[in-house]
Amino acid sequence: MTIAPKAPRKLSMKDRYSALTRDLAWDPSYVTNEEMFPFTNFEGITIHDWSKWEDPFRLTVDAYTKYQAEKDKRLYAVLDGFAQSQGHLGLTDASYLNAMKLFIQGVSPLEYQAHRNFAYLARHLNGPGPRFAALCQSLDEIRHIQTEVHTLSNYNKLYTGFHSYVWQHDRVWYLSVPKSFFDDAVSAGPFEFLIAIGFSFEYLLTNLLFVPFMSGASFNGDLPTMTFGFSAQSDESRHMTLGLEAIKFLLEQDEKNVPLVQHWIDKWFWRGYRLLALVAQMLDYMLPRKVMSWKEAFDLYFEQQMLGGLFVDLAYYGITPPKFVEQAKEEKEYLSHQVYWTLYQFSHAASFTTSIPTDEHMEWLSANYPKFDELYKPLWEKEKRNVAAGGRHFDRGLPELCSVCQIPMLFTEPGDPTTICQRHSDFEGERFNFCSDGCKNIFDHEPEKYVQAWLPVHQIFQGNCGGASIPDVLAWYRMNPEDGGEYLGSTDHQNWLAWHDMAEKTGGN
Amino acid sequence: MQIELRTQVIEANRKTFAHLVERYGDRPASRYEEGSIGIQAEANFHYRPLWGPDKDIYSPDYSVLKLADPYSFTDPRQFYYAAYVTSRADMHESFGTTLAYLEKRDLFGRLPEAWKSLFQDVVLPFRHYEAAGEMICANACRFGWGTSTTQCFGYAAFDRIGNAQLLSRVGISFAGGTAESLGLAKTDWLEDAAFQGLRKHVEEMIVDRDWGTAMVALDVTDQLIYAMLFDKLDDAAITSGAGSYSLVAQHLSGWFADQRRWFDALYKAGVADPEYGAANVATLAAVVDKTLATAVAALTPIAAKGDALVGAGLGDVLAGAADGIRTKFAGLGITTEA
Repeated sequence: MTIAPKAPRKLSMKDRYSALTRDLAWDPSYVTNEEMFPFTNFEGITIHDWSKWEDPFRLTVDAYTKYQAEKDKRLYAVLDGFAQSQGHLGLTDASYLNAMKLFIQGVSPLEYQAHRNFAYLARHLNGPGPRFAALCQSLDEIRHIQTEVHTLSNYNKLYTGFHSYVWQHDRVWYLSVPKSFFDDAVSAGPFEFLIAIGFSFEYLLTNLLFVPFMSGASFNGDLPTMTFGFSAQSDESRHMTLGLEAIKFLLEQDEKNVPLVQHWIDKWFWRGYRLLALVAQMLDYMLPRKVMSWKEAFDLYFEQQMLGGLFVDLAYYGITPPKFVEQAKEEKEYLSHQVYWTLYQFSHAASFTTSIPTDEHMEWLSANYPKFDELYKPLWEKEKRNVAAGGRHFDRGLPELCSVCQIPMLFTEPGDPTTICQRHSDFEGERFNFCSDGCKNIFDHEPEKYVQAWLPVHQIFQGNCGGASIPDVLAWYRMNPEDGGEYLGSTDHQNWLAWHDMAEKTGGN
Repeated sequence: MQIELRTQVIEANRKTFAHLVERYGDRPASRYEEGSIGIQAEANFHYRPLWGPDKDIYSPDYSVLKLADPYSFTDPRQFYYAAYVTSRADMHESFGTTLAYLEKRDLFGRLPEAWKSLFQDVVLPFRHYEAAGEMICANACRFGWGTSTTQCFGYAAFDRIGNAQLLSRVGISFAGGTAESLGLAKTDWLEDAAFQGLRKHVEEMIVDRDWGTAMVALDVTDQLIYAMLFDKLDDAAITSGAGSYSLVAQHLSGWFADQRRWFDALYKAGVADPEYGAANVATLAAVVDKTLATAVAALTPIAAKGDALVGAGLGDVLAGAADGIRTKFAGLGITTEA
């Protein structure tokens, strides 16, 4: 029997994708591999075979551009329609926009950073498969910052607090929390970045970050933001699969990678979780119409989905749930209240406003948080009396910041929600303070990194922020008096009432 | 369903974000401007990179080529993401139509033999060149300074892999839906003596840690390659009964015309820069000189290979393109040696 020579087979979809992506690469012979990929050795990760990377999605350039162009066409049509029809008047209340102010100041610049650093991975990972996936994500991320800015641009024209988000992200005390978080990831090596952002941020914590903002938008009449959220969802699902493939790939390549990856999961869980403190208070306090409590969100999106699902799968590789996760679980009862109480007192130095929860809001908090009546309601009742007596409380001092997460030292001791937690480490003759064991643990692994931090309060004391008085610093922050402080009676509040009054008179709304 | 008509006019409190008012005055900003100008962090970076503690996370010092104000350059195409993907969706759709037509009419099968060989042995290996372009541009997107430039670099990176995929799809079609042609082209890229000078040049460009000089070297090399393969060969194809080559080439030369729009504007901004103009001119002259010498030498054997097949005078085109490049740079005030 003779066997005829096989004709070359037509390409399967998988092979075709491979021919259009990873087959374009070659091993260099005129420069060394180390010259070609100078950044993938120093972290101690061992990769034996980059070709083992499984492409998490197969999207070629023609399909990508077609699909994304169609999505953007629909999104921008919604933005234009909303602006033309004065859709902002259909929000639940102008105070809702505090959530969006926080979003453009704190989150959108992170999308930008992701854009730039996924471009770094698109160049500097050795494997062409992950390089192309990273390039797609880099493009998605510039889409996200731009569509977010375009979505919120209309509000900026009419409301306070949005106008100087870029400048403020780089300078303002509460915005150094997200900025330092992403600076930390971008200044790490490519593998740590993959775990920090690709896995921890885009997979582990993404639902806790984005769902509250996007559902908050949909519950509060913010059609553009909701549409943006839906439109970004298919991008995010690609990012999630990339993050998941990244961690599987690192764990499968060499057992020696496991402890390194475990440390990064521990670190970036805690770093990300601390960042989410801003989301927690947004969810429980800033949304006029509530979606769900932080406690419920944490329970569903983290405890059930991640601890109950993902980490069960990761146990196969010897990965355990992140360190200090028990602390986070305990804190879900207290986190949002502690953070908002602090922001309430410092909102005269912020580009958003705060206010005492209404009675109805207070009932919701009581119903959702069993400790609320005991621990936090009395604070608000007392503050109500202050306000009635004409003395709305603002803290005129400067808070001490944690040297890692940069949040004011407002969190409490494990097991004791009435005592402020303080930890410290000494390094090169100086003392550094932390809000928690989680942050101290991060510092102690890399003290030489965290001593570099640009801590806003230290910077003010050193005279680098426009002067020594609060008005000096606020001017340097480019905050106008109407941008912060109390919501009731604020410019946004007054305009809101006047516009609705006008709408009633002209028969609209 | 309730239809609401709102007739009242609400006066806007501001026309756009503060940093744009500061730069452009109190006027509404375009979506390009709102999505590009000033959105990269410029101050108060918290930590130095572990992989390079000598510089900040973003810094103008990742290249010797600099703009005192990076936003003195803006993309003449005004590409922000939505505009970019819309433009590229059209480009790739139009290419898809061409490819479908070529396949339906078996126009690759009907190419003169010499032109088949030319596509296989000379043109198709350039899919790897395009992939190298992707890496160089991605690096510039990370390390550049200011979004008006880095955004162009990021889109260019995606364009390059798009070009590589475009050529590869022709290659797959050329081989009846198999990877056979792509395999041969890769072997040529890796082993054929005619391609080794170019591959060496490409690998050296990729490892240049200065994103600016790497981008300029890539662009000068592009200008030679696109003149040779997609302009000149396009003409020769039409006169030699190889119209299907021209149908493919139009998509690449069309892309390159688009690429030139922003790149030439960037050169102009670099030369005109009040602070770094003179230094930029000196660097550009040196990079253009060095690249022309290297790239012309590297491309000469490839041109000879093409000429041996179709006699299109590619060697002369190459020399002419090099002269044209010098003249063009001289027009910008950048005088090169030859």
